[in-house]
Amino acid sequence: MLDASITAGAELTVTSVSLSFGGHRVLKEVSMDFRPGQVTGLIGPNGAGKTSLFNCLTGLYRPQQGTIALGGEPLERLPPAQRARVGLSRSFQHVALCPELDVVENVMFGRARLGRSGWADAFLPLPAGRAEVEESRAAAMEVLRRLDLAAYAETTPAGLPPGTQRLVEIARAIVSRPRVLLLDEPAAGLNPAETRQLMAVLRGLVSPDLMIVVVEHDMDLIMQLCHRIHVLNFGQRIATGTPEEIRADPEVIRVYLGDSDD
Amino acid sequence: MPEAVGVVTHAVTGEARPLPRRLASWVALVVLAAIPAVAGGFWTYSVGVCMANAVAVLSVGFLLRYGGEVSIGHSFFLAFGAYCTAILERQLGLSVGIGLPVAAIAGAVLGVAFAWPSRALSGIYLAIATMALALAVPELILQAGPVAGGYEGLYVSRPLVPGLSIELQRYYLPLVVLGLVVLLLARFRRSRQGLVLLTARDHPRAAEAFGFSRGYARLAAFAISAAVASVAGSLLAFSASTVSPNSFTLSTAIYLLVGTVVSFGSLGLIGALAGGAFITLVPQVFAAWGDWVPIIYGAALLLVITLGHRPAEVLAALRARLAGGRRDA
Amino acid sequence: MSDALQDLLSLVWTGIVTGCLYAMGALGLVMIFKATRVVNFAHGNLAALAGFVVYGLTAMGGGLGWVASVLVALAIVVVLALVSYGLIARVSEVSDLRGTIATLGISLVLQGVVQVLFGADIVNLDLPVPNWSATVAGLRVTSYDFAVLAVSGSVIAVLFFVIERTRVGIAFRAVSTSAFASRVCGLNIHAVQGLAWGVAAGLGVTAALLIIPSTFLSSTTVASFMLQSFAAAVLGGFSSLPGSIVGGLIVGVTMNLFSYFVTSELSATFLLVLMLAALNLFPGGILPQRGGGSRA
Repeated sequence: MLDASITAGAELTVTSVSLSFGGHRVLKEVSMDFRPGQVTGLIGPNGAGKTSLFNCLTGLYRPQQGTIALGGEPLERLPPAQRARVGLSRSFQHVALCPELDVVENVMFGRARLGRSGWADAFLPLPAGRAEVEESRAAAMEVLRRLDLAAYAETTPAGLPPGTQRLVEIARAIVSRPRVLLLDEPAAGLNPAETRQLMAVLRGLVSPDLMIVVVEHDMDLIMQLCHRIHVLNFGQRIATGTPEEIRADPEVIRVYLGDSDD
Repeated sequence: MPEAVGVVTHAVTGEARPLPRRLASWVALVVLAAIPAVAGGFWTYSVGVCMANAVAVLSVGFLLRYGGEVSIGHSFFLAFGAYCTAILERQLGLSVGIGLPVAAIAGAVLGVAFAWPSRALSGIYLAIATMALALAVPELILQAGPVAGGYEGLYVSRPLVPGLSIELQRYYLPLVVLGLVVLLLARFRRSRQGLVLLTARDHPRAAEAFGFSRGYARLAAFAISAAVASVAGSLLAFSASTVSPNSFTLSTAIYLLVGTVVSFGSLGLIGALAGGAFITLVPQVFAAWGDWVPIIYGAALLLVITLGHRPAEVLAALRARLAGGRRDA
Repeated sequence: MSDALQDLLSLVWTGIVTGCLYAMGALGLVMIFKATRVVNFAHGNLAALAGFVVYGLTAMGGGLGWVASVLVALAIVVVLALVSYGLIARVSEVSDLRGTIATLGISLVLQGVVQVLFGADIVNLDLPVPNWSATVAGLRVTSYDFAVLAVSGSVIAVLFFVIERTRVGIAFRAVSTSAFASRVCGLNIHAVQGLAWGVAAGLGVTAALLIIPSTFLSSTTVASFMLQSFAAAVLGGFSSLPGSIVGGLIVGVTMNLFSYFVTSELSATFLLVLMLAALNLFPGGILPQRGGGSRA
C-alpha cells in the first residue's frame, strides 16, 4: 500500500542540507544520494554529523536549508509520523520494542499503519477486523520465519539477547515492505557472533526495491556489508565510494588515523 | 532509561490470559448474579454501586495502562455521564437505556476536547490539567443552574425495563455493563489500535516512526478512558438513584486512582471489582472514623506503589542494590 | 482618574500581591520537578499542615509566640518533606510516573492527618503585622500587601542568588540538567535532591502562611490554592524558575480581573482554560528556554 506518486526504483537524495543548533553548525551543505538495491553506509568520526543527518532523514530534526527527497517527492517538511507513509522505516540504537507485547505482536505493530480496521473493530469481534488481525499475524510470522526468529514469536522481548532483540526490530521495520530501511547503529551492543548473524540477515534483505541506510561505528560491518559508503567529517561530506575506494581515500585515512577509536 | 514508563500494570492480559484467571472471572460473575437472591436490600444496593465504581476504576486503569498517564480528574467524566443520564430523564423522560450510550459518545468527544491542548506535550501537563478539571466540576454543576438541580442534585428513578423491580435493575445493569466493558477491553488488547497505544506508551518515537504521532496516541487513550468513565457515571447515577455536586470532588477522582492502583492496574473483572469495592466499602465500613479514610487510602496507595506488586521486579531491584548498582530513572 | 480605571488599577495591584504567593508555590513545584522529575501533588497539603501547626500552637491554646510557632512548623514540614523525598526517591527509580502517583498517596495521608488532629472546620489565621493602610494616588495599599511583597521578594531574591552564585546552586543546576551525569561526576545527588525538596517545602509554607490571612484555613482549601501555583508553573513551562514567577503574576492578575468582571464562582474553570490555552499557544512556556517540559 505504497504511495503511488513514489515510483519504484526512486532514489533518496539529500541536497545541500545545513543544520545548526544555537549557532553551532553540525551539517554544512551536505549532498548525497542513496540508491535502491544497495546498502549504503554513513560513517565518520564522533561528532562528524552522521547522527544529525540520520535524524534529518527520520524527521526528528528539520534542516534549516536544503532538501531531502524520495523519488523527487520532498520529505523535509514531513513530520516523523508521516514519513512512514511514503515508505521510510527504521530501527533504533537503543532497542525500542514494547515489553508488554510479545515478539509477534511487536512485529505486527510494524504493519498497524496499513490496517483499515476502525474503532468498532478494535472492540467488537467483527469479521473484517478479525480477518485483518489474522492477516497481519500471518505476515509477521512470515517475516519472523525469514529471519529465523519464529521460535521466539510468543515470548516477550525483554528476556531475549540483544542481538535477537535487534533482529526483531528489523523484522518490525520490514514487515510493512518499506522503500527505505534506516538502521541506527544496528551493531551497537552486539557480540561478534550476533554481529555476524545481523550481517547475514541484512545481506538477505537486499532487493531491487529496498534501499538500506546504515549508520555504524563497526568498520568491519560497514566494509563487508555496504555497496557504497558516504564519509562525513565536521558536518561535511568528504568522500563517497565503494568500500575499496573509501579504504584507499587519502582524506579518509587522514581523518581516521587521527581518531584511534576505530 | 528515557521514555520507559514502567506503569503499574500486569503483563498478563489478552489471549495470554491463563485458564484459572478466566475461570475465576466466570465464578465471580455467577456469585455476583446470585447476590440479590441471597443478600438483603442493603448489600444488593452496595454491591451494585461497587460494580458501577469498578467501571470507573477501569476507566482510570485504561488510561494508566494504555496511555501511561495519571489522571486525577476523572470525576469530571463521571459527573458528566451521571448528569447526562439524570438530565435526559428529567427533561426528556428518557431512561438510562438512552442516557448511557449518549453519555459514552459525548464522554469520548469531551475527552478528546480536553486532551487536545496537551496532545504533543509531556504527560505532566495532562496530570496537572486533570487536577484543575476535578476542581472545576462542582462549580460547573452549580453554574449550570436549575437544570442540574444545584446543591440538592437530581434523582434518577426511571426504570430501564418498565414493570420489573427497579432495585434489581439497579443491580443487574451495572453487572452486565461491567462484564461487557471487561470483554471489550480484553478484545482491544489484541487489536491494531491496542498494539499502537502500548508501543506509543513505552516508545513514542518508535510509534512516530511507524506512522502514529504522540497526539494520536494521547487522544485515543484519553477518549476511550473518558467514554468508559462517562458510562460509569451513568451507571452510578442509576444505581445510587441520585446525583449531586458533592459526590464529584477532587477526592472522588483521587480515590478512583487509588482504586486502580490497589487493583494493580488490572483491566480484568476481579481486579476492577477489588478496586471498586475498596473505594465503595471503605467509607461505609469506617463511617464512624471518616477523618481516617484519606489516611487509609493514602497508606494503601503508598504501600502498593513502594512495595510494588511484581515480586520479580522487587527482587531484581533488591539484587541490583545489593550488588552496589543503582538504576538511573 | 475614572472609576473604571481606578478599579482596574486596584485589581492589578492586589493581583500582583497574590501573584507573588502563587509564584512562590510554583517555584517549589518546579524545583522539585527539576531535581527529581516528579510532580508533587502533596505540596499544598504539606503547606496546609504547616498552617494548622501554627494555628494550633498560637490560637488553639498552644500559647507559643508566632515566630516560634512558624519555626516549629517549618521544622516539622521540612522533616516531612525529606521523608516524602525518601519515599519518592525509592519509587521513582522505577519510573517518574510512580513517583508522581506516590505524591498523591502522601497528599491523602497529610490531608487525613490534618483532619484527625484539627478537624475539618474552617479557621482564621492572621499575620502579626500592624493593621495599617494608606491611599496612594487613589490606590489603597495595606500593611498586608507590603508584608507579602517584602517577604516574597526577599525569599525569591535569596533563592536566585543561591542558585546562580553558590556551589549548592551549581550542584542543583547540574542535577536538574542530568542526574546521571551529576552522579558520574561524583555529586551526592540525594543530598541535592533532598535539599530541593526541603527548600520547596519552605517556600510552600511561606506562601501558605501569607495567603491564609486573605482567605481562611481548612483541610482542603490550601491544597486547592496550590492549583494557582500549578497553573503558574505550567504557564512558565514547568522547568523554568523565572517562568514560574512570571506565570504567578499572570495568574494572580488575570484571576482577579476574571472574578471581578465575569464571575468569582468559576475560578478553577478559569485556571483550567488558562492552562489549556497557554499549553496550545506557548507549548514551551511563556519564557522560551531550552530543556522545557516537553518530551521531545
